[in-house]
Amino acid sequence: MIGCAPLKRIAGTRKAHDRPVRTVCRECTLGCGLVVYVKEDRIVDVQGDEAHPVNRGRLCTRGMAFVQGLTHPERIMLPAARDRIDRPFLTLDNVDQGLDLLAERLQQNRQTHGPESLVIDCAPEAGLDFFLGALRFARLWETPHVFHPLAAPQEIRFPAGVEMSLTPSREPPENGCLFLMEADLATTHPVAFEWVLDAQRRGTKVCAVDTRFTATLAKADMAAVIQPGCGNQLGMAILKEFDAEGLWAAASAMNPMPESKAWAAVCRQLSVASIENIAGIRPGAVRSMVRLLATRSPVKMITGKRPAFFPHYGIWPAIARGTGVGWHPMETGWPALGAAIGSVFGAKHDAPAESATDFGRRAADPVSAAVRAAPKALVCSDDSLNKFLPAFPSLTADMDVAAYFGAFPNKTWERSHLVFPAAAWAETEGLWFSHDSALQWGRRVLQAPHGCCSGLGFWARLAGRFGWGDKFPWSNANGLADHQAFYAWVLSRYPETTGIDAARLKEVSVPIFPSPEQRKSAGWESPASSAPSKIGSETVSDPARRFPLAFQSTRTICGHGDAGRWWSWLRELEAEDVVQVHPDIAAALGIENGDDVRVAGAEDGCRAKAWISRMVNRQTVWSPRRLRADRVLIHKRGQSPEEAHRILKAML
Amino acid sequence: MNDQACDKPRHRYALMIDADRCIGCHSCEVACKMENDLPAGPRPVKVLQIGPVPGACGPVMGFQPLTCLHCDRPACVQACPTSAMQKRSDGIVYSDPDLCIGCQTCAVACPFGIPELNPGTGKIAKCDGCMNRVDQGLWPACVLKCPTGALTFGSPARVVQSTRQQKALRIVQYMTIESAALNTP
Repeated sequence: MIGCAPLKRIAGTRKAHDRPVRTVCRECTLGCGLVVYVKEDRIVDVQGDEAHPVNRGRLCTRGMAFVQGLTHPERIMLPAARDRIDRPFLTLDNVDQGLDLLAERLQQNRQTHGPESLVIDCAPEAGLDFFLGALRFARLWETPHVFHPLAAPQEIRFPAGVEMSLTPSREPPENGCLFLMEADLATTHPVAFEWVLDAQRRGTKVCAVDTRFTATLAKADMAAVIQPGCGNQLGMAILKEFDAEGLWAAASAMNPMPESKAWAAVCRQLSVASIENIAGIRPGAVRSMVRLLATRSPVKMITGKRPAFFPHYGIWPAIARGTGVGWHPMETGWPALGAAIGSVFGAKHDAPAESATDFGRRAADPVSAAVRAAPKALVCSDDSLNKFLPAFPSLTADMDVAAYFGAFPNKTWERSHLVFPAAAWAETEGLWFSHDSALQWGRRVLQAPHGCCSGLGFWARLAGRFGWGDKFPWSNANGLADHQAFYAWVLSRYPETTGIDAARLKEVSVPIFPSPEQRKSAGWESPASSAPSKIGSETVSDPARRFPLAFQSTRTICGHGDAGRWWSWLRELEAEDVVQVHPDIAAALGIENGDDVRVAGAEDGCRAKAWISRMVNRQTVWSPRRLRADRVLIHKRGQSPEEAHRILKAML
Repeated sequence: MNDQACDKPRHRYALMIDADRCIGCHSCEVACKMENDLPAGPRPVKVLQIGPVPGACGPVMGFQPLTCLHCDRPACVQACPTSAMQKRSDGIVYSDPDLCIGCQTCAVACPFGIPELNPGTGKIAKCDGCMNRVDQGLWPACVLKCPTGALTFGSPARVVQSTRQQKALRIVQYMTIESAALNTP
C-alpha cells in the first residue's frame, strides 16, 4: 500500500543570531509555540516551533508581526502626567514619580468619593498578571469595579454534565459535525482553523453561522448569515426545531437536565415568522442545521464571544445539556480559573443578569453598573476605555484621575491624566492559559526597556505606596516583579492546577493540561443557563426606525489587539476607514466602490470609503472602525440624510 | 540573456498553491515582509479575495495567493536595462539590488504586474523565491508559515506526488464514509 508522507518541512532561519528563544505567542488565546532568534538584544527573526503541538511550525500574521511594536518609534517609553486632559503631557523622570502622583490622587479621590468610585479596566494585551494584580489591588481598595473582556459580562463556566474538554484545535477530527456560531476562526485564529479544515477533509461536516459572510463561512459545508445580535435567538430557534422534530424530548430523556424543559417551553413561544424577521434566517435553513446536528454525532458547538454579550446566552449550554453535544465557548471567561477567580482574589463581581428580554437589546452588565456608580477614578490598560467601556470616555473629563498603562498612544491615552509605559509580552515571562485549558510558560525574549514595567510590577509598586507591600510579596532581589513566584502561588490556589508548579512548566516546552479529575473537582457551575420566564416582543424600536441599518465592527487582520494598529504591515492589510455595504443598498443610494460615505449613528459617526460587497447582508453595514452605535444611517457625500433615510425605508 | 550561464546548475523547485486551502489570513504576505524587511507598500505575495458572488447554494468566496510565477522566459529579465533582473538555473527569477537602478522597466514588462518599487531603497522588490533560505536548504518563509498548508514547496515531482496522494486519500476517505453511511441501519 502506498502511504502519503507529507513533504518534510525544513524550518529555521538564515539570519545571524546569538540565541534562539522558545516561547509562547501571547497575541491570542491559542498559545502557539514560537522560536524567536535574538541578536544583540534585538529580534532578528521569528519562526513557528515545529515541535509545538498547537501550531506545528505555522504562524499567523500577529504571531509574526508583533516584533514591529517593540521598536516602534511612537512606543511610550517614559511616564507622563497632566492636570487636565485638554493640556499637553509633561514627561516625568521615572515611573516612581508617576506612581507617587497616582497614589496621591487616588487617596484624595477615596477620601472624597469613597473606594467604589475607582474603576479598573483591563485589556488582554496588558497580560494576565495585570488583571490578577488589579483584582488583588481592588480587593484591598474595596472596589468591586474590575473589568476584563474575557471575564464579562455573562461569563459561562463549565456546566456540570456538558462535555467541555474543549478546544477548537485538537478535537475536531473526532467530530461528525462542527457548528461554528459567530466564531470566525479563519480570521481570529487561523492556526486553529487549520484543524477544522483538517477535520473537514476527514469527513467532518462544518456548519458556520455569522453576521457576515466571512472566510469561515466560505469554507463551511453549510453557512448562514444572520442579523447582528441575534445569535442567541437562532439558538432558541434551533432548540424549537429540535423540539418540533421530536428530537429534543428523546435527547432530553437521555440527558435529563432541569433547565431542558424550561428552555423548551420558552422556545415554543417563538413563531417561525419572528425567527425569520429578527434573525434574518429562513426556517428551512434552521431545519437543515438541526438535521445536520442530529445526524452527525458527535457534534461540537463552538460559540464566539459576541453572543455572550446579548440576552439568552444560556441557550447554548442548555442545548449542550439537552442534546449531549459538546460546547466550546470561545474567549468567554477564563477557562482554567473562571469559577475560582473571585474567591481567590476576592473581587466582588456583580452577578451577571439577563434583565433585558427584548430581541436585540444588550444584556445588563457590570459595566453599566459602574457607569451608574459615577466613577471618579480610573485605571485602564491599552485601549480598553475605547473598546470595552464606550460609555466612559465622556466621563473622564470630570474624573479626578484617569491613569493609562500601555505601550502606544491611543484613544484611551488621549483621555488620561497619567501615563505609565508597559512592557510588551515578549519582554516579560509568565503563565499562559489557552482556551483549551492548556497551561504553558511564556519565556521572556528580551529585557523590557528601562522605565517600562510589567502589570504585576505596576500594581505591586502602587500597593506599596498604601502600605500593602506585604500583600504583593512577589519581587526579586532587584525589586522587580518575580513572575515565577507569583504564578507558582496562583497555580497553588486553584483545585485544578494544584500540583503543577511554575518551575516545571518553565522546563517543558509543551502545554500541560490539567487532568479531568482536577477539573471536575473545581465544581464548575453555570449561573447563566437558566431559562427566561418569557420572551419579549420583537417590535421595531425607535432607533431601528431612525437608523435602518445594523452596524457591526470587528477587526480582521489585527485581531483583538490595539497594538496591531502600530504594526505597519498589518495596518497596510487592514484599512480602517472603510465601510462594507451590500450591493443592493449601494445601488439604491447611488454609492460606488471607493465613494466617500458618512456613517451616522445616534451618538457617533464617521466618514469612510465604501466597499461594496456581499459579505454583509442588506440590513447590515460593517467597518473595522469602532463606533458607539448599533444602528446607523449611511449616505454618500452630497446626499442628505433625509433622502437616504427615505430610500432605505422604502427598500427595507 | 542573464540566465543559467552565471551560476552552477541547481535542482529546480516548485511552489504549489492550493487555493482551496487558502483562508485569506495574509500570513504569507507578512512572512515575506518579515523575511525581507520590506516597508509598507510592496507586496511580493498578495492574497486576492474573490467574491462573495451569488452561487447555486448560496454565496461563494475564495482566496487566491498571487506571487511571481518565475516564468521560463521572463519578460522582466529581457527588459531590464542593467541586467539586475536575472534567472537562476533552479528557475528563480530575482533582482540584484546592487545592479537595480529602480527604473521599473521590469514592472512594465511583466504581464502580471509583479515587480514593485521598494520606497525604502528605491529599488525593485519582488519574490526571489527566498533563494537565500533555499540555498541553505530551508523552505521559503511564506510556505513555512502558512497556517493551512495552502502552499507547498519541493521538487516538482515530489510536490505533484504529494498533491496526488492527498487527493487520492480524500477520495478513499469519502468512499469509506459513504459506505459506512450506507451500511448504517
